This record gives sequence, structure tokens and C-alpha cells, in this order.
Amino acid sequence: MSVHQSKAHDSAVKHVTGEAQYIDDMPEPRGLLHAHLVTSPVAHGRLLSIDTTPALAVPGVAAVVTAADIPGKNDIGSILKGEPVFAEDLVAYVGHPIGAAAALTPEAARAGAKAVKAEIETLKPILTIEDALTAESYVMAPMEMKRGDAAAAIAAAPLSLDGEVMVGGQDHFYLETQVAMALPQEDGDMLVLSSTQHPTEVQHMVAKVLALPYNAVTVEVRRMGGGFGGKESQASLIACIAAILARKTRRPVKLRLDRDDDMMVTGKRHDFLIRWRAGFDETGLLHGVEMTLASRCGWSADLSPPVMSRALSHADNAYYYPAAHFKGFGCRTNTQSNTAFRGFGAPQGMIAAEAMIETIARHLGQDPLELRKRNLYRPGRDRTPYGQKVENFRLPTMIEQITAKTDFAARRAQIRAFNSQSPIIKRGLALAPVKFGVSFNNVMMNQAGALLHVYTDGSIHLNHGGTEMGQGLFVKVAQVVAEVFQVPLDSIKITATTTGKVPNTSPTAASSGTDLNGMAARNAAMAVRNRLVEFIAEHCHGKPEDVVFSDGRVRIGNHDMSFAQVARMAHAARVSLSATGFYKTPHIHFDGKSMTGRPFYYYANGVSVSEVSLDTLTGEWRLERVDILHDVGASLNPAIDKGQVEGGFVQGMGWLTMEELVWDEQGRLLTHAPSTYKIPTARDVPRAFFVDLLENAPNEEMTIYRSKAVGEPPLMLAMSVWLALLDAVAATAAPGKVPRLDAPATPERLLMAVKRASEAA
Amino acid sequence: MRNEIRFVLNGQMRAVSGVEPHVTALSWLRADGLVGSKEGCAEGDCGACTVALGEVEDGRLVWRAVNACILLLPQLDGRHVMTVEGLRGQDGSLHPAQSLLAESHGTQCGFCTPGFAMSLFALSRSAEQPDEDEILDALAGNLCRCTGYRPILDAASALPLDEAPTQEAESARSLAAATSEELSYRTGNAQAYAPRDLDSLIRIRADHPEAWILGGGTDLGLRVTKAHQVPRTIISLAEVGELKTLTETETELVIGAALTYSRALPALARRHPDFAAMIRRIGARQVRNMGSIGGNIVNASPIGDSMPALIALKAQVELAGPQGRRLLPAEDFITGYRQTALAPGEVVAAIRIPHRRPGTAFRAYKIAKRVDQDISTVAASFSLRLEDGRIAEFRAGFGGVAAKPLRALAAERALIGRAWDETAVTAGMAAIDSDISPISDARGSAEYRREVARNLLKRFYFETTQTVEARLA
Repeated sequence: MSVHQSKAHDSAVKHVTGEAQYIDDMPEPRGLLHAHLVTSPVAHGRLLSIDTTPALAVPGVAAVVTAADIPGKNDIGSILKGEPVFAEDLVAYVGHPIGAAAALTPEAARAGAKAVKAEIETLKPILTIEDALTAESYVMAPMEMKRGDAAAAIAAAPLSLDGEVMVGGQDHFYLETQVAMALPQEDGDMLVLSSTQHPTEVQHMVAKVLALPYNAVTVEVRRMGGGFGGKESQASLIACIAAILARKTRRPVKLRLDRDDDMMVTGKRHDFLIRWRAGFDETGLLHGVEMTLASRCGWSADLSPPVMSRALSHADNAYYYPAAHFKGFGCRTNTQSNTAFRGFGAPQGMIAAEAMIETIARHLGQDPLELRKRNLYRPGRDRTPYGQKVENFRLPTMIEQITAKTDFAARRAQIRAFNSQSPIIKRGLALAPVKFGVSFNNVMMNQAGALLHVYTDGSIHLNHGGTEMGQGLFVKVAQVVAEVFQVPLDSIKITATTTGKVPNTSPTAASSGTDLNGMAARNAAMAVRNRLVEFIAEHCHGKPEDVVFSDGRVRIGNHDMSFAQVARMAHAARVSLSATGFYKTPHIHFDGKSMTGRPFYYYANGVSVSEVSLDTLTGEWRLERVDILHDVGASLNPAIDKGQVEGGFVQGMGWLTMEELVWDEQGRLLTHAPSTYKIPTARDVPRAFFVDLLENAPNEEMTIYRSKAVGEPPLMLAMSVWLALLDAVAATAAPGKVPRLDAPATPERLLMAVKRASEAA
Repeated sequence: MRNEIRFVLNGQMRAVSGVEPHVTALSWLRADGLVGSKEGCAEGDCGACTVALGEVEDGRLVWRAVNACILLLPQLDGRHVMTVEGLRGQDGSLHPAQSLLAESHGTQCGFCTPGFAMSLFALSRSAEQPDEDEILDALAGNLCRCTGYRPILDAASALPLDEAPTQEAESARSLAAATSEELSYRTGNAQAYAPRDLDSLIRIRADHPEAWILGGGTDLGLRVTKAHQVPRTIISLAEVGELKTLTETETELVIGAALTYSRALPALARRHPDFAAMIRRIGARQVRNMGSIGGNIVNASPIGDSMPALIALKAQVELAGPQGRRLLPAEDFITGYRQTALAPGEVVAAIRIPHRRPGTAFRAYKIAKRVDQDISTVAASFSLRLEDGRIAEFRAGFGGVAAKPLRALAAERALIGRAWDETAVTAGMAAIDSDISPISDARGSAEYRREVARNLLKRFYFETTQTVEARLA
């Protein structure tokens, strides 16, 4: 067996020896130029003129390009048009690229970029969600999702409440900043090495800006130093600029953003303003829910429409709303263009649900856990606001399992007792469920391809459309192929993703990498295997169904051959040992207009319990203990999956508690480096951190070896940390009072919430 | 005089000339083909560039993790450098820091991994088996965005202590011989000096008033990597023996201005445990292995975490210059935003911290968004001595609440002579309000800073008088 085993990341040894190459580590080609961006210093303005001559006088500078130098179209909008590579008439945020310099050294390029003179007439910017809502400044048409008559249900319900919560954005802080190297080829073709989750889109965008057919552009990526969604659409900008400069100078050009530029120029997770109104009965059972979700999209649409669509389709989290009406507003602001980030809007939608449940529970004086359980989807109450039926719902049992394992009720009582004795330090405890829909909401994107060659020594070359950003996709897909042929994992060569081998791919995103590419690779492997079976059965005068692959050997009747032998024999008999594989997710459909359908092939589930201590004098806090039970179906690789669960949780905890993006009144991002933008360190992870994968739980759907996607869902498990902090704050408030706690729950927000709560009390 | 920067890199003697002295170790290493060390931030905050720097101390080669991204070439002179490429054994086998990381699934994207491997290597050369706190301390300066750290901590917990191979002592001897002559480095119109005593430092300083005085470089290095300034002259303090001493007399602790935090910590932990705990939250280990209290105060940041404690402890700053030496109370050293009382040509020689009178309570508090490697939103230190139930002595130092670190004189006046009770705390808190003038910035609002500054006196009161838990472990 190769699948369902813990196998090390395929590059683990190369990682620890420093031999794993990232784009900036590759040997630099002859004549390489380094690029640096020229960016807007103002959040909003009219670009009157650009003077590049002083830059060209800087020693070492070979070229400066602006919008005027783009041979093709100056538009790299991923979904909607209107996202120029370089600003033309308007600059729309601080950091907006208006040009780039290429020079012999990175220092000279920086000096060149700095020497460019841009004349800009400053205009008034729109910076916040509130301002954008007031000005009706949107990047897309408002969205609506509804089932039943929520307003009537709320009006008819015995009780109703409303509330508001803000949840902040998040920088991806991949350790490897955005980078691309463009290498001009014969015939004006361009080879681009890009740190991207979406090589096909980079290919299309580079072709578009250079006015080339797609077949003249090849995009390759072996690995990224982290992506998390930040290199899905936004890698195109970097690759296109390198390519424009390479075209202009006819020399290879590398553009690697330094950390400050990376954070100032590229988009982040959307911050959201959430307003909700709910009708419910005395037991807390929901009758109807209305929600308004407004996201800060930044200056352009980027992926904001599907982010909002996923937010709306997760604003139920795990709960049944008999009637629901959600509205989504994508706000256009003069800030970085926000983009995909692990969860893709779902986390913000789920926060809306959890804030609502928490408020209602405290208002009724009920244990929030009881209210959560009462409102969970269950048979008969299983229709989501977008119409999909929630089947085989695992969360009710998972919640029972984790509350038993963590002694939830007893700890709740202990914490109450502790808090009544402790005037300064307060403890908090909370459980958060997670239900996450797996598949791209856009049905078209749920497809993948793979290419597989068996060589005559039995070694295998594997390629597919998925990209490796650390998540372990490559080893998982290799495990699938090893399983099909029953050969050792190390006989499979994992190769760089390239648009030249597998075309027209979807991004490695939406947690779908393994589901899609694993299946495509399996189909490719099965195609070759079937040919081998047919050949060897005929050759050995046996029946195809008697051919057995195991332990690197092929057996039929009395014949026992090594896999390599069979490959040689098949080749000698002129059997093709190469195949492509293709896969498309079955059973899914979604109507974007009515926002109904079955967008998700299945749901991934998880549940977490967190306990915190809060210092009510300073707002400092500690995460004391975390327990997680997560559903990955029949795991392809438990070690890799556990790594995704733990890493996702910690990243989510950072988002909800310490990672604070701060802009000043001029729209300048003040937190553009790790000195000011704080992601979790080792000490922020609790000593008591217990993660279990749900056992004996194969996916009911026919996914790759019955596994489930794992990339994004665990991030949202961190909601229990935020809820536990809210619980600790609530310990200082009068009964029935519900403190508001926006995210990230920094020490400042916590202290201010404590202050408000105790004043109200 | 020697016009070559010489160091041992992964066991091989290297000599550098013709490269401008402000070039960082990271840039130089990567240009040399050693691309295992990565740039993640270029400001010493992520650890992806971590390498180990070896120096002979008390006859043995001691390895410490440092950030190569803010280490300037002259700082390598006379030192041993180990990068991830040098970690494998002679037989090609992985170092335990490497094999354990790989086996425990401690790598995902792998970009931070070489830095972690180097921090673990330095840890494996510790004198004794590290406990959990020590492990967290050793890894606090390395950010990982993928794993959530648990597998990395597992690897660290399993890490055996490493024996120094015999060749190390040998290469230390040859390096010492190769660097016996003082460094006086010149290329083009840039130069670097590394004087070996205080007098020559002051002399060279007088000749080059424009020079950058390079201590640990943990702040100055950022002028190169973030502000993109290019110094013409660098004077390194690395070889000024007198600035790297620590003396404990009957009455005081004298800490040489360029003595690294790491080397000052043991004595501070004995004398003023709370101050040591605070220092362990300045930067991360990579920063503390290079940075010094002297550098922290010369830098004159409004926050500089050591200053509030020095004020509360009645420390003095010893200055040396062409006119001789003088002493200043700590609170008078920083005169304004990024301004000090240093006269032209003067340098800080030492920080003198008097021992506390018996019965003096002392606490140092640092409030930040994150426990490790964060800059204070508010820092506060208090010392208190009661006589016959009345406050005989009280000193309070604050950081992050004004243009410079300050002594809270109004609060001191409000408290001295009173009984140490809740009424006094209320009066003290009101007085603190008039002592401070915080601003709002990315780290916190003025309102939050005020609230916290006041509340920290309350915490001090709880900690010195009551048994209730008033601080998180």
C-alpha cells in the first residue's frame, strides 16, 4: 500500500539541506537583469505624466517600462476587465505599480525606480468599507442569496436580535515573496519561471500583455515558498512585469519583491463588515436569518466576486436557517486589491454565523454549545440557503466525540469557579464546528489533467496541473500513482508544473489540488496500467483479470516479472507507455444568478475546542489548550494531512488574534513587514495541542481513495480561539450582556471589550 | 593593518576584499552560491536567513544563531560562519538538526527550513540539554507560515547535544593567526575599521565623524537593508575588548556597552530576574546574540525596552570621549526622539546598574501584540521599597508612551511617603496619566497605551501585596 500511509514530503531532505531551489536560488542566466517596481505614493490620484529619463541615467539601468511599453493589452483582470499591469490614467492605491526599472543589480534597479518622476494630482480616496458603502463604491454588482422569506420569519418569531462585527484582513506572509524570472526564447517566445498557484493564468496574462498566442508562452513552477492563495491571481502581475521588461530588453529579467513591496503592492484576505438579524424562539432555535456581508475588495475586482459567493455560501456554517436572506457587497476602496486566501471568504461567512449564535446564546443565558447543537443541520432540517442538501452530516457525532474527550462540561464548570475567584485573570472555553464545501463554486474550474510516462527501466515520470506550495500535493499524487502500479514511491519522479506538459489547468486552490490532480493522475496511470495488463495477459496467454501488480512486480499464473521487465517487454511489443489523464468532478452544478444549486461535491468537517486565559489589566492572553477532531475522509497521507490541520489552525489563530493590518489616513499600509505585522511564533502554539483525524471515515463520495480535501477547512477551526476569548471577556460582563469583539482580537481590542463589558455591568 | 576580511566559512578559510563593507552577509553568501540561506524580510524578524556565527569564548568555540540579512561583512571578520550547506557530516550524512526536521514532518514549503536547521544546530551546541522554555527561546526568531510549529518543536525536543568536531579547534587556531593583525579595510571610497581598544576607537571616531559605529547591527543593519543607505565608513565595535566586559562589584553590575544581550543575561538573571525576563523578549535570540544594551539605548528609540528598567533601577550610563569619561543617570541619556546626550566624538562605554537595596521590589513589564520578538506597545518598570509601611523609594520608567523613554516623576511624587495601598495606586495611576503623552500608531492607540500604563501600576501593586494571579505565566 502506498496510499493511506504517512510519507515524508517529497522535498523534505532537500528542504533541510537547503538544496530545494526556489526561483531566486536558481543559477542566474547570462545577461540577467533585475527589476524593481515604481509605485504610487498616493492612494488615489490622476497620473499626469511620467518621466523615466532620470532613471535611465542611473548607472546599470538598462530599461524602464510604463503602460506605454506594453505591446499587448494592459489588462490582467482575472475575472473582470479593468486591472492594468501599470496604471495609465489613475493610480488607485499606495503601492500601485506605474512602471518598473531593470538593471544589472537589484540595487541599481531600485535606484532607477526611485529616480522615475511621476506627476500625480491627488484625489480623495475611499479607504474603509463604511465609506465605500456610503458612496456605493463597488467592484461588482451586489449579490443575493435567499431561501424562504427571512423577513417574515424574523417578524413572526417570538424573539429577535441583531448585531454587527468586523473581521480584519490578513497578509499571506508566505516566506518566499512574489518572484518571477522571464527568459526570452526563439521566435519571440517567452519562458516564465513564476512562483504561482496558477501557471495557466500566468501564461494567459503574459501572452495577453505581450500580444502572443498562448503557445508562445510557457510557465513553469517547481515549488513555491508558500502560497495560501496569495499566488493564485496576483502572481500574474509579477510575471507580466518581468516579461514586459524581458521583451523590451531581449534579456532575461528577474523580479523579486522585497517584503515591504510585497505587502504594499499585493492583495490580502478581505476584511468584512458583517451585520445580521435573526428571529428565534425561547430555546434559541433559529427561525430566520438576514445577513449583510460587505467586503473590502480594494481598487479592483480580482477574485472578489467568488470570494463573496463563498462567504455567502458559508454564512450558515453548520446551522440550519429555515429562512435566510444574505446580501453581499464587494466594496471598491483605494487599497491593495484583496484576493484569495485560504478559505476564500468562507471564514468570514462562518464568523458571521458564529457571532450570531454566540450573541443569541448569551442573550438567552444559554450555553453557546447547547445553542450550536440545537441549530445544527439534521435530517429534515438539511437544506442550505443555496439549496444543497446536507447529507451524511458528520458534525453531530464529532461534537459528541470531542466534548467527551475534552471533558467539556467539567471544564466549563471549573472555569466558572476559577473566574469567580480570580479578579484579574479570566479563563474562557469554546467549541467551534466547521463545515466547508469542497469544489470551486465555478463548476468549469473543477477539472484537471495529468501526464505520465513509464520508461523502459520501470521508472516513472509524473506531471500534473497542480502546483506544490508546501502542502504536500506532489507526494500525495505520487502515492496515488505508486498505488496504481504497486511500485515503490521513489521510482516516481515528481516534476515541475509546466503549461507545456499539462495545458488549460485550474489553479491549485479551493483545497482541490489532490481531489482533482490525484484523480487525473490515477486516470493517466490506469490508462498505462490497462495497456500493460492487456499486453501481459496476451503475452503470457492468461486472462487480464489474473494480472497482479504488487511489490514492484507483475504476476500472472506462473509468470513473475519485475515492473521494469514488463515495461521493457511492452515497449519491445510497441505498446505506448505514456498517457494523459483527465478528471472532472461529477454531480455538481450551480446557477450564479439565483445562487442555487449543488456547488459542492461534499463537505469537509472539523471541530475544535480552545481554552484561553485573559489578563484583564492589559488584554494579553494565552492559548492554554486546543483539541481538534478533523474529517479528512480516508486520509491519503495522515502525516501530511495533520500538518495541514495544525498549520491551518495556527494561521487562522493568527488571523483572528494578532495579525493586524493598519492603514493610516492617507491609505498607506503601516504594517508592511514582520516588525509590525505579527504572525504566530512557536510560543503562541499551546503546549497542549491535540489533533486527531476522524477515524474510519471514508468519503461517501467517490473521491480519490475516499479521501477529503484538507487545505482550507482547518483554518476555520481557529474560530474557537476567538470564541474562547469572547467567553473570557464575557466573564467580566453582567449576565445577558454580550461584549462585541472584532477580529483580530488583539490585546487592545480585548482590553477595550473588557472595559466596555465591565462598564455596562 | 589588514585589508582583508577573513573568516572560516563551513570549515574553509575565506578572505574577502574588494567588496563594499556594508554588503550583508546574506547577499555575499548568496552571491557566492550558498543559496540555502533565504531572505524573508531583510530586517532580522523572520529568521529565514539564520546562520551560525562562531566565536572563541573562554577557550572554546561558541556557536550562536544570527540573522545574516542584517549582518554586515566586517562583522564576519575573525569569526566562524556555518550555513545550512555546511551542516552535513563529512560522510555526507545529515546533521540531527536536519534529519529530525525531515522525519518529524517539520517542513512544508521549506523556505524557512534552512533557518530553523541553523537555529537547531546552534541549540545542539548548547552547554546543557535545553528545557522547553529554552527550546521556544531558541526558535522564537524563526517564523514558519505552514506547519504550525508542532513538528518543529518535536524535532527540537528530540535533538541531541552535538560534540564539536576536532577540526573546529584547529580552524579556530588558524583563523586566530590569520586575523592577528587589526582590520583596516578599504575598497574604493568605502572603509571599515575594527579597533581593538577604546582609545583607538575614540581616535578613529574623531577622524571619521561621519562613520557608522557598528555594534551588533541589529538596528544599524536595517539602515542598509530597509532605508537603503550606504555608509562610507564603518567602525566595528566587535574587537573592542573593554566594551565587551561584564564586571560585578560589591555595589554594581558594569555591563560593557557592546556586550551582547546573550552574554549579559546570566548575570542580569541573577541580579534582576525580571529585567532578564524582559530582555529575553527583546528581538529574538538571533537579535540578542548580536545586539547589546548599549546599542539599545544609543539607538534612542521611544520604546527601547531596556531603558524603562534602567531608569527604575537607577542605572547610570558611562560615556567616553576625547575629553575623558563621565556618568549620566539613565533617564538623562535619551534627550528626545532618537536623540541622546552623546557629545560629538563620544561613545557609550558601559551601563552601570547598582545592586538593589535589600527589600526593594522590582518588576519589568512588556506589553506587545505577541509574546516573542515583538516591539513593546507599552513597557514599564517599577521599583519600590517600603519603610515602616510607607513608600520610602519608588521609581517608575516607561517606554512607548512618549517621544522618549521616561521617568514617571509625577507618579513617583504622588506615591513617595504614602502607605502602599489601593488609594495610593489610584493616585499613582492618575499621576501616570500626567507623566505620559502617548500617540496612536500601528502598535496601539493612545487610549490603549494610557489604559495599560495605568493598569501596570495596579499589576505591580497586586504582585507586591497580594496573592491573586495578576500576570499570565
